[in-house]
Amino acid sequence: MKKKIASLLLAGAMVVSLTACGTGGSGSTAQTGDKKGDGGAKATNELTVWCWDPAFNLYAMKEAEKVYQKDHPDFKLNVVETPWKDIQTKLTTAATSGNLESLPDIMLLQDNAFQKNVISYPDAFQDITGSGVDFSKFAKAKTAYSVVEGKNYGVPFDNGSVVGCYRTDILKEAGYTVDDFKDITWSQYQEMGEKILAKTGKPLLSCQAGESDLIMMMLQSAGGSLFDKDGKPDMVGNATLKKVMETYASLVKSGVLIEVNDWDQYVGTLTNSTVGGTINGCWIMASIQTAEDQSGNWAITNMPKLEGVEGATNYSNNGGSSWAVTSASKNPELAYDFLSKTFAGSTELYETILPKSGAMATYLPVAESKVYGEPQKFFGDKPVYSMITDFASKVPSNNTGVYYYEARDAVATAITKVVAGSDIDAEIKNAEDTVNFAMGK
Amino acid sequence: MTKGKKFFAYTFLIVVSFISVFPLYWMMVAATNRSVDVTRGTLMFGTALFDNANKLLGSQNVSTALINSFKYSTIMTLISLLICSIAGYGFEVFHDKAKDRVMSVILLAMMVPFAATMIPLYQMFSKARLLNSTLGFILPTISTPFLIMMFRQSARSFPSDIMEAARLDGLTEFQIFYRMFLPTMRSTYAAALTITFMNAWNSYLWPKVIMSDAKSITMPMLVANLTQGYVTDYGILMLAVLICTIPTVVIFFLLQKSFAEGITGAVK
Amino acid sequence: MVNSNKKRSVGQKQSMAGWAFLTPAVLLIGVMSFLPMIQALFLSFQTGIGNKMKWTGVTNYIRMFKDPVFMQALKNNFIYLVIQVPIMLILALILASLLNHKDLRFKGLFRTAIFLPCATSLVSYAVIFRSLFAVDGLVNNILIKLGFLNTGYNFLGHPDSARIVIILALIWRWTGYNMVFYLSGLQNIEYSVYEAAKIDGASPIQSFFRITVPLLRPTILLTAIMSTNGTLQLFDESVNLTNGGPANATITMSHYIYNVSFKYVPNFGYAASMSYLILFLVAFLAFVQLKVGDKRD
Repeated sequence: MKKKIASLLLAGAMVVSLTACGTGGSGSTAQTGDKKGDGGAKATNELTVWCWDPAFNLYAMKEAEKVYQKDHPDFKLNVVETPWKDIQTKLTTAATSGNLESLPDIMLLQDNAFQKNVISYPDAFQDITGSGVDFSKFAKAKTAYSVVEGKNYGVPFDNGSVVGCYRTDILKEAGYTVDDFKDITWSQYQEMGEKILAKTGKPLLSCQAGESDLIMMMLQSAGGSLFDKDGKPDMVGNATLKKVMETYASLVKSGVLIEVNDWDQYVGTLTNSTVGGTINGCWIMASIQTAEDQSGNWAITNMPKLEGVEGATNYSNNGGSSWAVTSASKNPELAYDFLSKTFAGSTELYETILPKSGAMATYLPVAESKVYGEPQKFFGDKPVYSMITDFASKVPSNNTGVYYYEARDAVATAITKVVAGSDIDAEIKNAEDTVNFAMGK
Repeated sequence: MTKGKKFFAYTFLIVVSFISVFPLYWMMVAATNRSVDVTRGTLMFGTALFDNANKLLGSQNVSTALINSFKYSTIMTLISLLICSIAGYGFEVFHDKAKDRVMSVILLAMMVPFAATMIPLYQMFSKARLLNSTLGFILPTISTPFLIMMFRQSARSFPSDIMEAARLDGLTEFQIFYRMFLPTMRSTYAAALTITFMNAWNSYLWPKVIMSDAKSITMPMLVANLTQGYVTDYGILMLAVLICTIPTVVIFFLLQKSFAEGITGAVK
Repeated sequence: MVNSNKKRSVGQKQSMAGWAFLTPAVLLIGVMSFLPMIQALFLSFQTGIGNKMKWTGVTNYIRMFKDPVFMQALKNNFIYLVIQVPIMLILALILASLLNHKDLRFKGLFRTAIFLPCATSLVSYAVIFRSLFAVDGLVNNILIKLGFLNTGYNFLGHPDSARIVIILALIWRWTGYNMVFYLSGLQNIEYSVYEAAKIDGASPIQSFFRITVPLLRPTILLTAIMSTNGTLQLFDESVNLTNGGPANATITMSHYIYNVSFKYVPNFGYAASMSYLILFLVAFLAFVQLKVGDKRD
């Protein structure tokens, strides 16, 4: 045993000396790496990109590279897979410590976090208003997420338009078709949902407890926001918000909406046929389609609208992201040109990525495209993609504000307590107090 | 032990083991099933293992991640054990008021949440040009109050008469450590090695912050990548998690005898 | 006392050797931990968004006591600490002394099995715990079959039961980890001591309390300090099991600090001041534990 330990120690000592020698080596490689720009462009024809989701965003970026390479054969894209939470952490760390060079040329940002980051770290982003990207080709509600003080900071990418997804076979058992759910109000929805629940024992809708996705979708569908134009919290006395909370609480009480504890269970309710449908951003359709045995039994339409609220529509948005060019980019002109010729200028790109990844665009010209108009077998042979592009153009703009996540969490806390029996007005007041507290630094 | 007591002991251990092992079983089951069956809650082994493996290898660079994780964890563990065991031994064997005070102060270093020190640390490392380097990866956690204290506490049972005898024989202080302490503390080294390796293997936040190169991906980063999509494929994810779990378990299994089977008489 | 007198008489040479032994480790900790900690301390007296910071005195320290979410988090951490740490350490001690028994078979398998939870990735263990305690999950099914419940209870949907789930998860994950230290500590106790006690007529329980616990005291102190520190800095379970819910009923201080730094509009001054409160609390508890437990006989 002594021998073993001795050899272990020896090995340890060797490693120490190796790394001691290696310090100079690795230090110098890091240096040369830095000079070329670890994050920034390595050469004049190369761009580094951070984004997440190989099946979706990374795939789209790689296809965009191919599109751009047709006219620029030397062009190279270095895509580094980075989860969203890590992009946020790295951006915050780098920007706070004043070390922006470590950022890539282009990164993907969640729309909901866009304004927060641009306002917190204005030095980190390039104003791309006059960069040659034609923003008029995107749905206005979508570009609004990445506009700060009238300036554009992001090229819109994926589509978060809300769809109502329904199991036609379950609806049929209660004598309904998907058309009965088109252009309806939430009380009609609840009424039909109750009948379906009585007939089939299945709720019509599930969502994640403690998350405010559904609340935020309802709110935006009527053009509502948790903030006023000056960025101050607007919750107490916000009639739309109150109506939303009442609607939600009533849905839970009736049993038409069941709350589950996490995302996996939520997806489970869809693939297990526990529920008769769902309402979410259109990207949820990719999860639905993993249950191949349910092919042909799903259909989509628009979402229900709020009753008695001014500006209420059947359209909303949940999720989505946009590309930002960072100030670390050594070659911003190349980044602008790349983005404007691909994500903001190539119908071909969107036609390529849609069938394989289901990546829905917010680029308006593709709505006319043949690929988007093709009927989808899984969704009852309907041209769902062009339907969604149409929905996207009708979504009211959302004022996320800087303190979006604070407000969102405060509202989630409020609705949890309301569902448990608390008074709506008191909880809305608490939520507003929470946000005001966060803002009063 | 009497028969009755033995029966009780076995039953208790079997129940605890079963509860402990269940998630690993579930992970293995999930790794062999299609994602949709995992969300449907299956507990039976499926037939999708090769499919999942192909998709995992197709979308992620598993071999790079494994090699990197082994490299970082091994280097970190060996250096860490060496530095910390020397220090822990020093704190105990040569203890006086000043050194005891230093020990208490050192303990403070682990009491601040990492979220608060991460940014200053990042600033330091970017100035020292240590971003994207192995050294940058391992330096912050190579000397930990926890390991030092662990060796200090176990050095307490190291008999001082042996040291006196060795000193009379003319051994230097380092020779005493190397020839007497190190071999007798086999069980402590084995336990410390397991724990340090596991912590290094699983470390995520700091590596992720300073590594921004696809080539420096580690297993935990790979697993995180798989959970980020609009659609999570649970079959693939659990296969990756399984691959990420096995090395630590194997190391534990191989070493557990050393830290639980008693001193082989090196001292007495 | 005799011991330390003797040490002193051996003289300065040994003391110097001692310093040489601990210098590398102490230097590394100084640079890698204390330097950033000092910077964080400065930060805790500043306020602002992102990197636009200005001095504000002790405002942040006053602010946290007016912050209902932070106060809730502080309370949660203490609930976890007071309930979970003692149960876990006692369970780990019992398991370690059982598995140290000479004539028990399959020890290697049992040890590995019980160690497994802390090596199991957070991703899978969070998924499993959430599904076990789901309304239609295994735990509810068993309770219904045994007649304790009529319909499924939403464990993660109610504050107290959600906290219990977190505590159970912590015990599950970390008992085997602590057992490792006890197992390794037990090797320093000669087995013959137990046999002698047995001949003297001591019951296993008596020898557990009279031999095992006192001789393991240095190790118990180590694990107690580590667990206190770990529980007051608890992050993973709050984020992954309950996401702090329902309505912040299970959120921990570290989880909130993370939100304030990275999820919300970044306020590092405030985050740093909350971190220093944690430092203060852990340091105080560790000081008490050291006072009580760190005696050299």
